[in-house]
Amino acid sequence: MRRSKYLLLALLVSCLCGCGADAALPVRHSVALIVKSTDSEFFLSVFAGARAAATEYNLDLTISGPETEEDYETQNWMIDRAVEDGAEAIVFSAVGYEENAAAIDAAAESGVHIVSIDSGVGSGHVSAYIGTDNYAAGKMAAQAALERVEGPLLVGIVNYNEGTANGQERVRGAVDALTESGRARITAVTTTLVDAPRAQTDTIALLLDHPEINVLIAFNEPTSVGVARAIQVLERSEDIFFVGFDSNVVTIDGLQDGCVDALIVQNPYAMGYLGVESAYKLLTGQGGGLKAVVDTSTQIVDRENIFTMDGQKALFAFDQHQKPAK
Amino acid sequence: MRRGAAWRGPRTTTILVAVVTGVVSIILCFCIVLFLHRYRSAMVHSARTGGAQAVSQVSNTVGNYLRDMEQAMGLVEQSMSSDPDSRDELLATLLNFRPDVVAVTSYSSGGALLDCWSLGREPKENILRNLSFDLERARTSSGAYMTAPHVVTIFESWYPWVVTMTEPLSAQGGAAAWVSLDLSFSGISGYISSVSIGQRGYCFLMDEAGNIVYHPQQQLLHSGLKSEDTAALAALEDGSYADDTVIYSLTGVEGSDWRVVGVSYVDELVDRGVQEMIRLSLWLAALVLAAALLTSWLLSQLLSRPLRDLASAMGSFEADADHFTYRPVEGTREVRELSGSFGHMVMRIQRLMSTVRQEEVNLRKTELKALQAQINPHFLYNTLDSIAWMCEQGRSGDAVKMIHALARLFRISISRGHELIPIAKEIEHAENYLEIQKYRYKNQFTYSFDVDPGCLDYCCNKITLQPIIENAIMHGLDLMVDEGRIQVCVSQDGDDIVFRVRDNGVGMSAEQVRAILEEDAQDRTGIGIKNVNDRLRIYFGGQYGLHITSELDVGTTVELRMPKIREAGGYETK
Repeated sequence: MRRSKYLLLALLVSCLCGCGADAALPVRHSVALIVKSTDSEFFLSVFAGARAAATEYNLDLTISGPETEEDYETQNWMIDRAVEDGAEAIVFSAVGYEENAAAIDAAAESGVHIVSIDSGVGSGHVSAYIGTDNYAAGKMAAQAALERVEGPLLVGIVNYNEGTANGQERVRGAVDALTESGRARITAVTTTLVDAPRAQTDTIALLLDHPEINVLIAFNEPTSVGVARAIQVLERSEDIFFVGFDSNVVTIDGLQDGCVDALIVQNPYAMGYLGVESAYKLLTGQGGGLKAVVDTSTQIVDRENIFTMDGQKALFAFDQHQKPAK
Repeated sequence: MRRGAAWRGPRTTTILVAVVTGVVSIILCFCIVLFLHRYRSAMVHSARTGGAQAVSQVSNTVGNYLRDMEQAMGLVEQSMSSDPDSRDELLATLLNFRPDVVAVTSYSSGGALLDCWSLGREPKENILRNLSFDLERARTSSGAYMTAPHVVTIFESWYPWVVTMTEPLSAQGGAAAWVSLDLSFSGISGYISSVSIGQRGYCFLMDEAGNIVYHPQQQLLHSGLKSEDTAALAALEDGSYADDTVIYSLTGVEGSDWRVVGVSYVDELVDRGVQEMIRLSLWLAALVLAAALLTSWLLSQLLSRPLRDLASAMGSFEADADHFTYRPVEGTREVRELSGSFGHMVMRIQRLMSTVRQEEVNLRKTELKALQAQINPHFLYNTLDSIAWMCEQGRSGDAVKMIHALARLFRISISRGHELIPIAKEIEHAENYLEIQKYRYKNQFTYSFDVDPGCLDYCCNKITLQPIIENAIMHGLDLMVDEGRIQVCVSQDGDDIVFRVRDNGVGMSAEQVRAILEEDAQDRTGIGIKNVNDRLRIYFGGQYGLHITSELDVGTTVELRMPKIREAGGYETK
């Protein structure tokens, strides 16, 4: 009898306690997006996608990135600071595949989820990679040139930051495709900085050293802009076939007046959106269904399809891109 | 409270608690299911209403945008009809006032770009493709027409998204056959992007055929990472449609073939609320159930505990009615009444019991006194006859002895009315009796006494040995041919005193033993063995009394057991 009385009492008390504790609201998770640069249109589009996902999933999103695309030290510092500021997940595009690995490992070990976008990082703690299949994109760039240029191809490659994963994958893909074709020869490779004026200078030097070059390939947005301008300056639009990466007003203008012949357009919006969405899924325990690698599509845009509806939607953003507040 | 392993049926508490809890649970379940069902349909309804409202708002905004465009087109038309100078001036004013007008362009009947008015910009020299004008469509359409959103391609390094309205001009002034107005779409796209229905819901624009005009996640759609089933949506009428996961709301935009589609998610608008409600109602149910349990338990305690107390009181009364003392049981009025009745009953039964016992004792005493009063006349006659015979014979010594014995026998028999006498006296009495009987039976038997001297000071009921000895002589020795022998032995056995009378007579069968113990001595006038047994039991209780062991042709032993009593007083008064 006595025991059942206590049992009842305990039941009642636990009921009352349960009711009190029930009123908690769902927590707002915080996610940090750290990318290579905050200036290029490419990353502005990444931010747009990330913001859309953050709004949709009610997340606290902070965006940061270094001034230049070579500055992995600042990125490392940003990772550390994001962890200190209580970020629960980091969506990350690495400047240096090796150089950023330690900082990411440290962040992951303190319990932060890591989603890699655009450019990978050499860490075992990355839950998902969302971005372009860079090797295939590089191949696609080479194919674009091979399909549209007849005769032997004398290729000049404008490389950037040799430490970053995505660029090197793209170069490897392009070189492999060119080598396989049998009629292409890589005449010269120049490695420049991810900065349009610098890329322009280096390209001009390259073209002056190797005037026989008839195909140029650049692998990201700022270097493509530099190469386009160099071709314009040297007035070699007619005899040089240039394949660039991503959309920028300069390269789009160039596509229309001939100094750019094809653009490999990635899907930065999707990277930002899906990156943040994956982070949300990881934070809410739905990470089980996450794919390790998500290939956001890439597309070749040339003079033929630039103003088709698909081309427009791929190249031109609807909204005025907002830069993150510094 | 359940004693032993025997199951004696469910208790009131159990039944009451089970019934109340069961009924409450059933009602609760029913209520919760009904409530949740209603709640969910209300939530779905409100989600649909919310979706429809958001969509109609977007539709109004887009409609306003289109009306704005028509208004601006009216102004453009007006200015185009004036002379070139005032025309330029008017259009410049329009561009200044309406920053959302990206460009106004005019075209010849052959489709060539004639003029372009835009704030601070000039068209490129080589236009790859002008998306703001489509000659074929301009020729085939009867009046003004509107394009889907597209980018302006006539400027260098500037590619804003616009919607273009093209209108044919009455060919009175100059060569311009058509005029196009490019109105910025970024305001609308930004607005549509910012519309959210619930947390994740959104709106998009499509045309009647189901082609997407604008979608906030255009890039995801474009790369195939997301899809909208626009073909199915295009077939639907305006209104709200809910399936298991998604609620679609559709409404047309006035003045165009565009339709606004709102997409919202059942899980966040409905399921989350319903889940919250399920949790809440489960907690409430648990609380109510607990309250019901507690209440029913308390109620049953109020009722069944005093009943159980009463039952246990009755049980102990049943077990030992003599020493039961009644204590009233507290509880509800009915229980108190019950308890009161029981108390009365106990009192009456106890009073009756003591009366019966008293009457029994009195009866025995009366019987004894009556028997004592009349000494067997046959015995007296025989004894007196023997004495007379002795006198005749001149054996005056023996006669005197005999007369003395007879006198002592009578004195002890009377013994001033006391029931209990010292054992020594009882033995003396027995000796006197044997003495007399020995004369009468002409020394046919011998007798002997073996008395523990420690016993002599204790008391015993008077005339207990004599009836037994009488029985031994009459039934055991009378018919014997050989010399009989009677042994009387008194000994202590713990707290008891045991008298044993043994003879070597003919013995008795088991039936005879039982008859002696059960029947009153009706055939004789003496005090029967039954009388002795009854007196001992009434005086000292069931464990005391007579025990007879007998064997035919060997003899009989009668054993008499009573407690050690020092004084007569304690038992005399009972």
